[in-house]
Amino acid sequence: MSLSATGLTVETGTRKLVEGLDLTLEAGEILGILGANGAGKSTLMSVLAGLATPTQGSITLDGIPLDTLPPLARAQHIGLLPQGDEGGFFGNVLDFVALGRYPFGHAPSDLAPHLSQWELTALARRAFDTLSGGERQRARLAQLAVQQAGCALMDEPLTHLDPAHQARLLAWARSEADAGRTVAMTLHDPNWAAGHCDRLLFLHGDGRWQLGTPAGLLTPDALEALYGPGTAALWQLKERGQPV
Amino acid sequence: MAGALPDDRELALQILTDLRGPRVAAAFACGGLLALAGALMQTLFRNPLAEPYLLGVSGGAGLLALLGMAAGLAWPWISALAFAGSLLALSLAAALGGRLLARDHTPLLLAGVMLAAGFGALIALVLSVTPAERLPGMLFFLMGDLAWTAQPVLLWVALLLATAAALALAGRLDVLQLAPLKAASLGVAVAPTRWLLFILAGACTSLVVAQAGSIGFVGLMVPHALRKLGYSGHRILLPACALAGGSLLVLADALARTVIAPRELPVGVLTALIGVPLMLWLLRKP
Repeated sequence: MSLSATGLTVETGTRKLVEGLDLTLEAGEILGILGANGAGKSTLMSVLAGLATPTQGSITLDGIPLDTLPPLARAQHIGLLPQGDEGGFFGNVLDFVALGRYPFGHAPSDLAPHLSQWELTALARRAFDTLSGGERQRARLAQLAVQQAGCALMDEPLTHLDPAHQARLLAWARSEADAGRTVAMTLHDPNWAAGHCDRLLFLHGDGRWQLGTPAGLLTPDALEALYGPGTAALWQLKERGQPV
Repeated sequence: MAGALPDDRELALQILTDLRGPRVAAAFACGGLLALAGALMQTLFRNPLAEPYLLGVSGGAGLLALLGMAAGLAWPWISALAFAGSLLALSLAAALGGRLLARDHTPLLLAGVMLAAGFGALIALVLSVTPAERLPGMLFFLMGDLAWTAQPVLLWVALLLATAAALALAGRLDVLQLAPLKAASLGVAVAPTRWLLFILAGACTSLVVAQAGSIGFVGLMVPHALRKLGYSGHRILLPACALAGGSLLVLADALARTVIAPRELPVGVLTALIGVPLMLWLLRKP
């Protein structure tokens, strides 16, 4: 499965977020998307998922223009983990996770492995709105996992997770990629990006973007250009040259 | 109850078939439609406090119905005016707040709440300039009253059709409880489905208001209580709402007719008196 963007320009209101982006998400790779708050990471995710229209350019899924696919067919191939909560959901965790199979039109055969994967087995019958922030995020990840889409787009998936579950998420992302799927995620920590992503996309929020390997992009100068002066010191990059 | 019936069995039978039977049937259909509309509104707005009258339906219906009563019109005209008023309120809410429904339901909600407040003020104005002898009829309409309901068959057809239509949407409605972007990513066309919900809930509510005034609480409490009891999947929730809402209103109407017989109470008073303690007890459940 490959998701390709060609000449993609994304704007909100009068602001140009991304200009002329050429990007192909190949099967088996994890792409990390980094940028300051408001740089357009989430908007780009929506566009790549086919849920928002770019100002210019096109997106294809295995060569088929994304906007020609019916919504359910698209949902069978592209999964999105958006930010934000599911405050309006009245059911329990099991019901919530099972909705990930909606694009396939039938009740899921066995959710148990997915619940276990995200340590939700004991919470399965709990009302979703009684979960903690981290538990909710795990349920949202399990919902995405049961969708088993060829391409998983995750917007800040590490949010609310404790370090053990962050590691679990990153291991899951790698196993998805190893199974021939495509994973793209936005994240903020260059250390995670260095250790777990195959390629990185920097969004500068003014139309400029950089695409490259972690080794090539994660330099103190590049990070300060992305996040602002003095920020590289947050990750002790001046001393070590590279993230830990 | 048997002792309360007249000795003349023929008369008793006539009361049952011509008066009580149709009224009980109408009460059930009205309660079912209101609870169904409430469940749809709660899913549309992703909020357990949403209810059928949220968007000013009862206000629009009440205003035109009261104007009709003030002008001395007969009931069929009042009913037609109430129906027109509720459609007017819904159209205004949609026109003022429906633009961004794919992403955000807040503008629709705000427009509806503002309209309800505006209609409420106009209703108060009409009441305050109306001669005292006309007030009781108006108050009964505003609080909901099944005494005028003349078309149980129409209401039942509506209830069956609305339940079937809602059930056809059930799978999508489960997904629509999620954030709009997530629902869209799972393949649900968010804006068209939300418009369908709006139209379906609006039609159910308008029909009931035109037949029986603004019967409160059924549409808020029944779906909320059923969700609280664990019936959150729409395939079960929606028909359960129709059944439980209908049953509640039949019970409330029976009490409304009998507790201070031979006088009647507005049924809306009874739905609240039964519903409030039940709801408060449910809210205490973990």
